[in-house]
Amino acid sequence: MDRWQYLLLLGGCVLITLPLEFFGDGVYRQPMRLLRSLAPVLVAFFVWDAIAIALHVWHYNPKYVSGITVPFMPLEELLFFVVIPLCGLLTYSAVNAVLGILRGLRDKTADRSPQ
Amino acid sequence: MIGLGYTVPAIISVLVVCVLELAVLRTGLFRKPAYWISMVIVFAFQIPVDGWLTKLSAPIVIYNERHTSGLRFPWDIPVEDFLFGWALVTGVLLLWVRQRPDLEDS
Repeated sequence: MDRWQYLLLLGGCVLITLPLEFFGDGVYRQPMRLLRSLAPVLVAFFVWDAIAIALHVWHYNPKYVSGITVPFMPLEELLFFVVIPLCGLLTYSAVNAVLGILRGLRDKTADRSPQ
Repeated sequence: MIGLGYTVPAIISVLVVCVLELAVLRTGLFRKPAYWISMVIVFAFQIPVDGWLTKLSAPIVIYNERHTSGLRFPWDIPVEDFLFGWALVTGVLLLWVRQRPDLEDS
């Protein structure tokens, strides 16, 4: 079970942020925008990570990773670069939606108040 | 503890993202309250997630201390991780706000 720790942690991040999709225009519902935002940053961080691993700046505890590897790193580390920005985008999208709702309420209250 | 392998690239990544926004993309993201509120939320969730990844009692990610500043806070999180995380999330957010929303039916 221990070797799924990193993967389960990422899965938890996906699950906990999933409801945020239902605020505003969402993120998963804009797959092309998501892909275009994610891909360049993913490539940059993948290269950085691969270099850091090659230079022994950090490594991964074999006890807590699945053992599935993509080139240069555990699968989990590549997924990290997808999951964490996704959580950030969902947060930003939801915060924008909530601020929009609050602004709407405030304007409505202002309209109703006597001039 | 010379920091060349992690501290320096982490600082550079933050500078690159700032230059990207201020000189190239100019999205105005840094002036939006929604962005800073989001960053506070992301930061709050980074602590338990990153804390779990880096806890010295059973670390998932193991750092070569020669390449970090040696500063770990809170818990055992190398402070460099906060720069790394900020650059990662902000970089994607900048590209996101720069693009028009996908069509409703997509």
